Amino acid sequence: MEHIIKVLPYLLEGIKYTFLITIVGVALGFVIGAFAGLGRLSKSKIIYWLCTTYVEIIRGTPILVQILFIYFGLSDLLGINLDKVTASIIAIAINAGAYIAEIVRGGVQSIDKGQFEAGDSIGLTKRQTMWYIIWPQALKRMIPPLGNQFIISLKDTSLFSAIAVGEVLYQGKAYTAAAFTYFEPYLMVAVFYLAITIPASIILRRVERRLDV
Amino acid sequence: MITVEDLHKSFGDHEVLKGISNTINEKEVVCVIGPSGSGKSTFLRCLNLLEEVTSGSITIDGVEITDRKTDVPKVRAQVGMVFQHFNLFPHKTVLENITLGPIKVLNQSKEEAEKTARELLKKVGLADKESVYPASLSGGQKQRVAISRALAMNPKVMLFDEPTSALDPELVGEVLAVMKDLAKSGMTMVVVTHEMGFAREVGDRVIFIDQGVIMEEGDPQEMFNDPKSERLQSFLGQIL
Repeated sequence: MEHIIKVLPYLLEGIKYTFLITIVGVALGFVIGAFAGLGRLSKSKIIYWLCTTYVEIIRGTPILVQILFIYFGLSDLLGINLDKVTASIIAIAINAGAYIAEIVRGGVQSIDKGQFEAGDSIGLTKRQTMWYIIWPQALKRMIPPLGNQFIISLKDTSLFSAIAVGEVLYQGKAYTAAAFTYFEPYLMVAVFYLAITIPASIILRRVERRLDV
Repeated sequence: MITVEDLHKSFGDHEVLKGISNTINEKEVVCVIGPSGSGKSTFLRCLNLLEEVTSGSITIDGVEITDRKTDVPKVRAQVGMVFQHFNLFPHKTVLENITLGPIKVLNQSKEEAEKTARELLKKVGLADKESVYPASLSGGQKQRVAISRALAMNPKVMLFDEPTSALDPELVGEVLAVMKDLAKSGMTMVVVTHEMGFAREVGDRVIFIDQGVIMEEGDPQEMFNDPKSERLQSFLGQIL
């Protein structure tokens, strides 16, 4: 019982990093995903293939490999010393970006063809039609899967304990190594994740209901 | 106003339009009729380049729109289009649906665009609906908003693609009434329709398209009372 209390300060320290990496990473991932998703709908073969290759490579490799590749591999290749948190944010951004690209593509494709034609017919350019007509409608439909991706990415940050970035799991692990006890610290680690993911799911469901999607 | 010369359109191997030539004059109301799959909607959609033309040429008001160098959005801004399924923007209010084009394409101020939009809504009898979303409108109301949206661009010509086909029968009249007013005001109109009553009453000319060609055309009264081709006879026999 004492370890449940004692591990708390460690985990509270870790949760800051978990949040930082997830929020910044997914936000950047959304930007990447928006471009890559629209790129996969592009008429230009080059853009289509670039975006498709990106999505396939990321979806086809484990995120643990991706973080090790970015943190150790790229640092080695480029001879730079990437900060652990920065590397983690990049990894989440690139990883979530690939999944979000598919969410964006699906969202845009789900919009009725008549909406594109209506935009065209009043003389809007393709870009204006996308921005004023399609995107707002597609974004609404993207919210549930985006929320899901946020939760997935949040859990994925636990893998970054592999590069010793001080997120929740790493902190829990550090505690076990010092205290030589495992059950209670890891239980609390799990509780910490649930304390975020369950409310997030509930909020998401409420938003979905309000948006009527 | 509109000159179409030897217009061909294929989807893959399937040739839908097999050489259509026609001239539509200013202030003329032309009704396009024909069986489903005849190519009449495709013909209409070529007129504002919603369909890419395979070969042939279309000239609107002296500008060859089928020229590759044409600024396509600019052409479309001058050609109003009304769709069978309305295609209103569901995330925008009625007023916003109408003002989007004038503000973004014609660079009108919001005030100016809203003033025009309100006048149009008044004309189609929907002055009280400006702040509602399309979802709360009936089909007939939606189509009247869609007509206003197209008119707000101050187009040179209005295209109608089966504007009443998706409506419940009791709502057809209100849309046709708006179109009749529009015709009276001197708008050039091309209307793909199954409403033979409208064609007869409002149309200056009827074009009968079948299997991708203009089979017969002329004065509505004459065509309906005395159809020349066997195809038109059987078509009229089926629908009248």
